[in-house]
Amino acid sequence: MDQETVRTICYLARLEIDQKKSEKIQKDLETIVDLIGGLQNIDTSAIEPLYSPLEMTASIHEDIENSDNQKEKFLKNAPESNDDYFFVPRVVE
Amino acid sequence: MNIQFKSIIELREMLDNKSISITELTQESFLLAKKYDELNCFVTMNEEVGQKKADAADSNNKNSSMLFGIPLAQKDLFCTENLRTTCSSKILSNFIPPYTATAVKKLEDAGSITIGKTNMDEFAMGSSNETSFFGNVHNPWKKGYVPGGSSGGSAAAVAAGIVPAATGTDTGGSIRQPAAHCGITGLKPTYGRVSRWGMIAFASSLDQAGPLARTAEDCAILLNSMSGYDSKDTTSLNSDVPDFLANINQPIDGLKIGIIKEFNLSDLDSEVQARFEESKKTYEKLGAKFIEVSLPNISASVPTYYSIAPAECSSNLSRFDGVRFGHRAKNTTDLNDLYIKSRSEGFGDEVKRRILIGTYALSAGYYDAYYKKAQQVRRLIKNDFDQVFQSVDVLMTPTSPNTAFEFGSKGTQNPVELYLEDLFTISSNLAGLPAISIPHGQVNSLPVGLQLIGNFLKEDQLLNTAHLFQKNSDFHLAQPSLEDFS
Repeated sequence: MDQETVRTICYLARLEIDQKKSEKIQKDLETIVDLIGGLQNIDTSAIEPLYSPLEMTASIHEDIENSDNQKEKFLKNAPESNDDYFFVPRVVE
Repeated sequence: MNIQFKSIIELREMLDNKSISITELTQESFLLAKKYDELNCFVTMNEEVGQKKADAADSNNKNSSMLFGIPLAQKDLFCTENLRTTCSSKILSNFIPPYTATAVKKLEDAGSITIGKTNMDEFAMGSSNETSFFGNVHNPWKKGYVPGGSSGGSAAAVAAGIVPAATGTDTGGSIRQPAAHCGITGLKPTYGRVSRWGMIAFASSLDQAGPLARTAEDCAILLNSMSGYDSKDTTSLNSDVPDFLANINQPIDGLKIGIIKEFNLSDLDSEVQARFEESKKTYEKLGAKFIEVSLPNISASVPTYYSIAPAECSSNLSRFDGVRFGHRAKNTTDLNDLYIKSRSEGFGDEVKRRILIGTYALSAGYYDAYYKKAQQVRRLIKNDFDQVFQSVDVLMTPTSPNTAFEFGSKGTQNPVELYLEDLFTISSNLAGLPAISIPHGQVNSLPVGLQLIGNFLKEDQLLNTAHLFQKNSDFHLAQPSLEDFS
């Protein structure tokens, strides 16, 4: 794992790494990738992945209204908002 | 009236025979939390609301639940309406949930009183509680030592006798390992047994909520309330929930206990090994039979987990973007800058490491090699369990290869060193199986835990097997002196 790969992953994850820590992070990631890379030695041909221990399709329910609009309650946690919307920096000029 | 170190069953009796009121019991619990403030078990207390609920319960004594009036602590990963929920992260340090998690709501509906939210590893990522934004939790048995993690605050609060029980969550051992390090009992139920709704997600296919308590009986009481189908969780199991407490205390004559050949116990500390051999003898006296079994792929559990869990974490934690809730960075230039700065300021190092590993494992070109590969190995591990449960009833292992360690002594140079602590606990999360840790003695004055892994939905058998051990030993009754903390 080189510096360039680390920079790309950081951007994909929308994370910035402190310059002072970047070498350590790169080393840590290499160690972890080495650990999980060990799985390559296991023969898994014709083995279906197990994405959930239950192996069931997520249950579905009728699309019915079952609670009131709680906009006010949910907007309370927003760092910046008005009565209707979350505020973010301008996206369209 | 002294309530410290009392079990739920003992407190129930005190409440029922009126030797203490719910108000007094709740006050005592808050006083103990303050007295042992230095342990740093709690992130947020619920004193005003909790005490009010207790007063109301005394004057309206109608609930017949075992939990009526019992003080409990909740891991700070469960959303609690109008009570700050931080996941021990800076990014959620100001978050007040608009709703309560199903598991907590069920415990509160049964009449229990939430006294506070417990400290934990940030977003449950850690095995030592050292990644919390709110600082380390001390192990009640030894100052300056870790309580285990990620449910370290819950385990320490129970071990210090502040509350008789607490909730935790377990993604790779986060209930069982801190229970072992703090000398208490902790159960991870079958995946899907307890609703995950309102739990802040770490790795959705592995996360499961469960109880930490002083005894298996008390764990059964909490599990009775926490379990059950919830239409709000699409992976909730629609299965019958037995009365776990009523099913406890059955004879285990002829019970077949498997010992996993691949876990080479002779590599462990000789004292940890000795404790394990002693516990085998206890079970033999109770009529259990030991059988050596092989799970050929179990050694791959740690790398499998450290591919799947970070992948799921990187996806789940993408919701923290500084827009709708949580920390938002100041002075940002555009939306992308706001995302990057808010997340970078809000998350700690271990969380960042895991998000990055997960992003890498899921990225184009690596998905098949890391993520899909790990899910294939996961099936091999589950197949191994299916196979052995045809010939044994439960499996027995140590919970952790070591006792609690000193702050900062593990994983700071190499994170994998700490990941290997999870060797015995991780596989049951990958396979979705229930598992329990019970105290079975001490090594160098620190508790060690014994793990029992059960077959799918066999929590009743695990609790029974654990209870019989506790009926025939007194390790679970040991109490830390706490003299360095008050």
